[in-house]
Amino acid sequence: MANTFKSKWADYVIFGLSIFLIFCLLFESYIELPPLVAWIGRWHPLILHFPIVLLIIVIFLDPSRSRISQLLLTIAVLSALLTAISGFFLGKETGSQGDLLFWHKWLGATLAILAAIWYGLLAMGRRPKFLIRGMQILMGGLIVFTGHYGGMVTHGEDFLALPSARKSQEIPENPLIYTHIVQPILENNCVQCHNPNKQKGGLLMTDLSALLKGGESGNTIIPGQPEQSEMIRRLHLPSGDEEHMPPEGERPLEADEIRILERWIALGAPDTMRLEHLEPSEPLSQLIRDLMIPDPLKKWETLPAVADSTLINLSSDYLSLIRMAGTTNALKVNAYKPPEYHAQMLLDLMPIRENIVELDLSGLPIGQDELSFAANCPNLEWLEIDQTPISDEEIDTLRILQKIRLLKVFETGIGDKSVGLFREWKTLKNLYIWDTEISPSVLEEFKTENPGILINTGIDSEIRSYFVDSDSIPTE
Amino acid sequence: MGHHHHEPKEKPSLKVNRRHFFSQLSIGIGSLALGSLLIPDLFKGPSNEAKALGLGVRHFAPKAKRIIYLFQAGAPSQLETFDHKPTLRKRMGEDLPESIRNGQRLTGMTANQDKFPLMPPKIGFQQHGQSGTWISDFFPYTAKIADEITVIRSMHTEAINHDPAITFFQTGSQISGRPCMGSWLSYGLGSENKNLPSFVVLTSRGKGNSQGLYAKLWSSGFLDSKHQGVLLRSGKDPVLYLNDPEGLSRSDKRHLLDHVSSLNKLHHVETGDDEIESRIAQYEMAYRMQMSVPDVMDISKEPEHIIKLYGEDCQVPGTYAANALQARRLAENGVRFIQLYHQGWDQHGNLHEEMSGQAKDVDQASAALVLDLKQRGMLEDTLVIWGGEFGRGNYCQGKFNPDNYGRDHHPRAFSIWMAGGGIKPGLNYGQTDEFGYNVVENPVHINDFHATLLHTMGLDHEQLIYKYQGRRFRLTDVAGHVVKDILA
Repeated sequence: MANTFKSKWADYVIFGLSIFLIFCLLFESYIELPPLVAWIGRWHPLILHFPIVLLIIVIFLDPSRSRISQLLLTIAVLSALLTAISGFFLGKETGSQGDLLFWHKWLGATLAILAAIWYGLLAMGRRPKFLIRGMQILMGGLIVFTGHYGGMVTHGEDFLALPSARKSQEIPENPLIYTHIVQPILENNCVQCHNPNKQKGGLLMTDLSALLKGGESGNTIIPGQPEQSEMIRRLHLPSGDEEHMPPEGERPLEADEIRILERWIALGAPDTMRLEHLEPSEPLSQLIRDLMIPDPLKKWETLPAVADSTLINLSSDYLSLIRMAGTTNALKVNAYKPPEYHAQMLLDLMPIRENIVELDLSGLPIGQDELSFAANCPNLEWLEIDQTPISDEEIDTLRILQKIRLLKVFETGIGDKSVGLFREWKTLKNLYIWDTEISPSVLEEFKTENPGILINTGIDSEIRSYFVDSDSIPTE
Repeated sequence: MGHHHHEPKEKPSLKVNRRHFFSQLSIGIGSLALGSLLIPDLFKGPSNEAKALGLGVRHFAPKAKRIIYLFQAGAPSQLETFDHKPTLRKRMGEDLPESIRNGQRLTGMTANQDKFPLMPPKIGFQQHGQSGTWISDFFPYTAKIADEITVIRSMHTEAINHDPAITFFQTGSQISGRPCMGSWLSYGLGSENKNLPSFVVLTSRGKGNSQGLYAKLWSSGFLDSKHQGVLLRSGKDPVLYLNDPEGLSRSDKRHLLDHVSSLNKLHHVETGDDEIESRIAQYEMAYRMQMSVPDVMDISKEPEHIIKLYGEDCQVPGTYAANALQARRLAENGVRFIQLYHQGWDQHGNLHEEMSGQAKDVDQASAALVLDLKQRGMLEDTLVIWGGEFGRGNYCQGKFNPDNYGRDHHPRAFSIWMAGGGIKPGLNYGQTDEFGYNVVENPVHINDFHATLLHTMGLDHEQLIYKYQGRRFRLTDVAGHVVKDILA
């Protein structure tokens, strides 16, 4: 096809727009945009797609080598210039410009002007191929980087980051309420639009002083007055409301997250207050503690997979295998006493021993075999072997277990030796240990040594005597 | 129970019926495009149910694995149990201000009274434990566990009569026919011990004025009948018709069951009715229960200190104390939902005398149950609930007489307590006004109560759904919020 489109007008327009763009960039600080022109800037996000596609097409078709439609070439370069100019207008509307916008602006402008020069060179017919080719490669690179910076301005800096890179900070033992609790909530929900690069509504939410400063709508938080604080008001608006934050399409905050922000503001938006400074009755204290409990499902993620059919095959009338929750591979195993009990019932579970996190053998006539099996379950956290005939020697088999958190051994034959075993288990949190052969003094010593372990030695003696000793059934 | 018509589940043996056909059709190309425009949720439809349907699948890691519900049928007065209101004494005999009653609907028993004289409790109140929980002197034993329990003083309901009120508590609806809490849990979580039902009911009766209890209160409604509660009776026949007639050996029984089962299976292939499968499973369960139930019910091996803990009454079958001890044994054996009913709390008159007797029936054993569960490490994963179906009015029913008074039903505020199973210990939650009439802080509706219960068991009340006769049902219907403040 012959190239029929050859208009001088197009060349003049491209030349004119290039000059206009350069003028804009040079005299940026002197320019005041009339509202209608500013409105043109709003079309930037729409038209920017044209140069991206069209420039890439013409670069790949390579006009230095093959003949391509002059019309296509003209539209591509024109769209690049229009995008750059509308982008300039849009950028003028944003009060302060951060790093991202700075780079986006200059890369975009360079790209547009480069495209115009490249167009001029092609039109003039002088074609040193290496120059044309070089410019094309440069333009390709500029498209990628301009687009990427533009994307980060719109969608947030870590929009392209891999999901696992999402910030989920570990909360330290006694966290600073602002630094470790409040700011991460803002970080995950608000900062995407309220950062130095974007600063929607003139509001920065990257640090406490910025928060206190507020934005275009006035105050963001008023220390001590959550109800009066703009941020809280907007969080509580119905999700369809125009002023609701985060805006439509974004994940709204969890109820607990909002309550944390509220209570923190109610307490005066302190920056150095720590969890332990809070009164126990302060709701914020519990809210933070809830956050600090690791999700148990997470810790079980690494367990080997076990199929539902396996569970069905291995369970019986006297043995139930239940997933701890959802589709987790962590299992709770309950054994009930069949008319004729044999240890084999349990030993059959060897293939899934790594999946068992809770094991209930209460009241069964268990011995060495069963405890050896339990010792083979490396992920066991919860073990009930109460009301069984086990003794020191048998329970010692369990020594290799590393994750025991709760142990029930009341009404068993274990003695003082077993206490040595409990001392070694650093993960132990709850121990139920009454009615055994352990001497009271040893147990008392173990109790004082380990205030962190909840050691239940039966009903408190005072309460017990109130129930047991008094004539409980008064005669009428 | 009447004939159930079930939504057919996906089964290869099922013949295609009309509804099936149309539901398949809706995935046709034409309806796909149009349908998704008209009904945005068209393709999201089954996702919730799919999540809820897996048997024994919890939505998240649970705090509680079982519930023991000590239901005080007839509605004990909050003003003589946990809600201490000194104002009633100060303004004794004065008419209940209309600004407080605020148009509350009354039962036929007091609606025609022209005066509503405020009536203080005759019983004293003390604060107990480090939590400073107010508990009336009717409950000296419960007072000893004040720091183990959370008292909720802001419960409220809509029902003003016993039957709809208990039905509301059990099923989430005042109108009978819906499945009970225990049935929902059995449906959502399956059974833990296949030799016992996952939902067991035990009843007892005090000397106080009582109202009837009906089997519909442990019905599975439109859920599979295997989720129905099983009433365990006192005496030598805990489950009716469970024992074999004399002369029938265990192996004869086995043969009988095998043959009946094969006949039932034939019938199932023919009709595809799921109730037949249920029936086969129930025969099998009954067979195993012949062994397991007498074992669980036999308290002869309980040591003396345990017997004394619950009170010597617990050796008398059919008493509340005996049922409380039984409840612990059932809980140990993997029963998920153990429902006790103690009747006799409907004090329209002679309130002080009657409540004194009722409290003696239940006080020690209820507290003992909590202590016993605690020493066994079972309070960690067992939720205990104590309470009735509504509260009682703060004014005197009938003629004003401080020595012998009664109280009419009151739905707007009443008190219950909970312990263990992921509930904060030693908490006082919610408040009523100075008259004990209206909730003024942290109201907890029955729907909220249900949502919270399911939450402790690891279930999301909005995802525990059963589709029946073309609509989706939940225990909390279309309401309910988890009361997070009381969760540990």
